Amino acid sequence: MSDATIALTAPAEKPVRFRGGGFRTRPLGIISPIVFIVVIGFWELGSQSGLIGKLILPAPSEALQALLELIETGNLWKHLGASLQRLIVGWTAGTILGIGVGLAIALFSYVRAGAQPLVSAIFPIPKIALLPLFIIWFGIGEGSKIATILFGTFFPTVIATYGGVDNVDRTLIRMAQSFGVSWWSIVRKIIIPGAMPAILSGFRISIAIAIVLLVAAEMIGAEFGVGAYILLAGSLVATDQLIAGVAILSVFGLTVAWLIGKAESYLLRWRT
Amino acid sequence: MEIRLKGISHSYRDGGLKVLSDINLSIREGEIVCLIGPSGCGKSTLLRIIGGLELPSAGAVLQVGDPPPTSLNPLTYIFQDFALLPWRTVEGNISLALEDHPIGRKMRTEIIDGVLARTNLTEFRKAYPRQLSGGMKQRVAIARALSVNPAVMLMDEPLSALDSQIREILMADLVELWCRENFTAFYVTHNLAEAVRLGHRVAVLSRRPGKIREIIEIATPLNQRSADSPELGRHQQHLWELLRDEARAADLELANV
Amino acid sequence: MPFISRRQFKILAASAAIALAGLTGFAEQAAAADKIKVGALRFTSHSASFVAFERGYFKEQGLDVEFVFFQAAQPMAVAIASNDVDFGVTAISGGLINLAEKGAVKVIGGALHEEKGIDGQKILVSKAAFDAGVTHPSKLKGRSYGITQPGSSFHYMGHKIAQKEGFAGADIKFKPLHKVGAIIGALKSGQIDAWSIVPHIAKALVKSPAIHAIGDVADYIPDYQVTTVFTSAKNAAGNRDLVKRFLAAFSKGAADFNAALVDKSAGAKADEDMVRLVHKYVYTNRPFEKAAPSIRNGSMRINQGAKLNLKSVQDQLDWFKSEKLVSQAVTIDMLVDKSYVQIY
Ligand SMILES: Nc1ncnc2c1ncn2[C@@H]1O[C@H](COP(=O)(O)OP(=O)(O)OP(=O)(O)O)[C@@H](O)[C@H]1O
Ligand SMILES: [Mg+2]
Repeated sequence: MSDATIALTAPAEKPVRFRGGGFRTRPLGIISPIVFIVVIGFWELGSQSGLIGKLILPAPSEALQALLELIETGNLWKHLGASLQRLIVGWTAGTILGIGVGLAIALFSYVRAGAQPLVSAIFPIPKIALLPLFIIWFGIGEGSKIATILFGTFFPTVIATYGGVDNVDRTLIRMAQSFGVSWWSIVRKIIIPGAMPAILSGFRISIAIAIVLLVAAEMIGAEFGVGAYILLAGSLVATDQLIAGVAILSVFGLTVAWLIGKAESYLLRWRT
Repeated sequence: MEIRLKGISHSYRDGGLKVLSDINLSIREGEIVCLIGPSGCGKSTLLRIIGGLELPSAGAVLQVGDPPPTSLNPLTYIFQDFALLPWRTVEGNISLALEDHPIGRKMRTEIIDGVLARTNLTEFRKAYPRQLSGGMKQRVAIARALSVNPAVMLMDEPLSALDSQIREILMADLVELWCRENFTAFYVTHNLAEAVRLGHRVAVLSRRPGKIREIIEIATPLNQRSADSPELGRHQQHLWELLRDEARAADLELANV
Repeated sequence: MPFISRRQFKILAASAAIALAGLTGFAEQAAAADKIKVGALRFTSHSASFVAFERGYFKEQGLDVEFVFFQAAQPMAVAIASNDVDFGVTAISGGLINLAEKGAVKVIGGALHEEKGIDGQKILVSKAAFDAGVTHPSKLKGRSYGITQPGSSFHYMGHKIAQKEGFAGADIKFKPLHKVGAIIGALKSGQIDAWSIVPHIAKALVKSPAIHAIGDVADYIPDYQVTTVFTSAKNAAGNRDLVKRFLAAFSKGAADFNAALVDKSAGAKADEDMVRLVHKYVYTNRPFEKAAPSIRNGSMRINQGAKLNLKSVQDQLDWFKSEKLVSQAVTIDMLVDKSYVQIY
């Protein structure tokens, strides 16, 4: 009988099946450039062979040509300068105000009760819809453009900040109080650093929003700016310039993501 | 400086949950009082009340005499989970306790150097908490507490997050420290062995609402106690008998909540 | 079942259509009607197509027309290039020229036309600018001027005004604001000094004390060919018959429109009928009494026979080139197919 044979022979040894692993990403630095190159390569091939019509999508080489033209005429720096100034001023102001209001909401019950619903009500309004009002309020100069970006970045920062503060370990605050650390020191040395991871991931979102809104902001009387360049390319149906402009925005996005990564690894070096 | 508890009672949820009932106790200068009791009987609450982090519903915590003028923070906590700021190094964490006091940068560095040496942490001053083992973290917390030169240390299960070997080592460290500095402490614990090794007196709380059931005195000087001493064994046995029924009843009670 | 089935209904509908066609006498064409899509804006200047549709001129030519309405001229040119629309009427823009260069669209005729003596586009200034002395277009030097976008007809008009008044186009500060609404807001609140716009909007605006009219575009751009008729290059080259039929119907509609509202030679009844017809498409959200004056105000000549002022088109093309908005390689022949209508 088979039962008997099983009982008689020594039990077979076999390794326990590995069931862990997965759900963890490893940094594979070479993958992303390869993906980029492959996508652009196929796109170029498609355009060269006529598979992708000229009107449908210009070849990457044509977009590159448009970009080189921008560099030759020196207009690239004018566009970049104008846009970067708007992005930096608008985003910085929005971020400082956002962190301030976020902290106030997190720290003071009255402010929280009053401002939190207001934030929830205004956050989802598409800022583009407010452009005509912004023109009346802030004029058609730099004011309305910066205001558009400021408004766009302010709200996500507020939400990220008070969310971050709410998640700061209360025992640390208790500890500081037990050592007689002053209120303001607790805010500076415990609450802000403790909320920093959340604030920094809020930055990723708010900067992306700022770049998205750049095009909208530059609908208001902008002569120079990457957004204005893209808008003009669109109205001229100059698709090569359109792609070139969009590529510049993508580079903005990548650069900023990289900068935030650097900031994170510096500011959050205490984390593993 | 001495701490005197007079008729402390406390309840949570507007009187719905009575936690402490009429606690009277004093902690003399240079004495370690251990407090044991079943889970949830209000030990941590009592410690917070003593430290001024919570107001009792009734009664008062009195401070008899003035703390020494060199004491920067007379009532100083040591927490079970260490409560170290993960974004500050060892010296930064100690510095936090000093920064709000007008003592000048030079003095501050001196104090930090001193406490790091006393807790054998000098080579780890630049390390972040995540780089330290649990025992090391608690040593940092003790160093931080020592840095403000406390009149009374309030310790809430300071060793219970550590494994038993580290606990043994830190207990020896604390005994040594006490022999040098003669600090006053109120020491909450679950662990009877800890209580009989470190306490000059041990107060036993009943289950919730916590009342003092008994206070035992242990005469043997701290530096002459060892884990296998028969006298300590007797004390421990006695404490266990006091606690067993309370603990069992408390366990059932919690299960019914 | 008490109700007729879907199939029965179809048969019924078909026989009714045949009966109707027979009744009106062009059964032949109706049966073989070509389905075409015509892009339009809800502007009085697009009335030629509306008239041709309402009065059956398209049907007469065997065209089964469906209108596709747009918010702006720009996407219409793109829609023709992508074959979503067959015919359109709009101003010559940088986008249109670039699409022509790519071999996607062709101008085949003329539509709206500036003419001395008939109310045309007006030059407007804000009250603040007017009070500061900008009372004539010659004072526009150094002033800000609203445009939708670089390369729009507004941009061209501003340049031509500067040219005629003897200063460089760059001396006017052009402010691209992308939306007509935004320009009006900016002009009313004095954020920009000047703008030029079609008469029906201009006449409504000057009623407000915040805006003054200081001149006519017609004085600066004589015989300005404001809008043109265009179609896909494929239609222009390979579908000549269809294009001709469209232009014939369009011209007939234009003639009716001019007679009724521009020359006012057809009498009061025709005027009233025409305004009612146009009101079906334009200002539909306003009651007739309110819409009628705006429609009358907006009536500018639509070229007879869709004839095309090539000189004006050439001038516009040259301007786009000089502003480097389009490639220097674009020729008038890439843009215009001259074989359909009278060229002058
Ligand atoms: N802030 C609070 N609000 C409401 N109830 C509380 C609060 N803090 C503690 N309690 C309740 O009071 C009782 C006593 O809590 P406390 O933490 O003082 O007990 P403990 O003796 O320290 O328990 P353990 O041995 O588990 O640490 C518990 O039932 C607890 O749930
Ligand atoms: Mg506790």
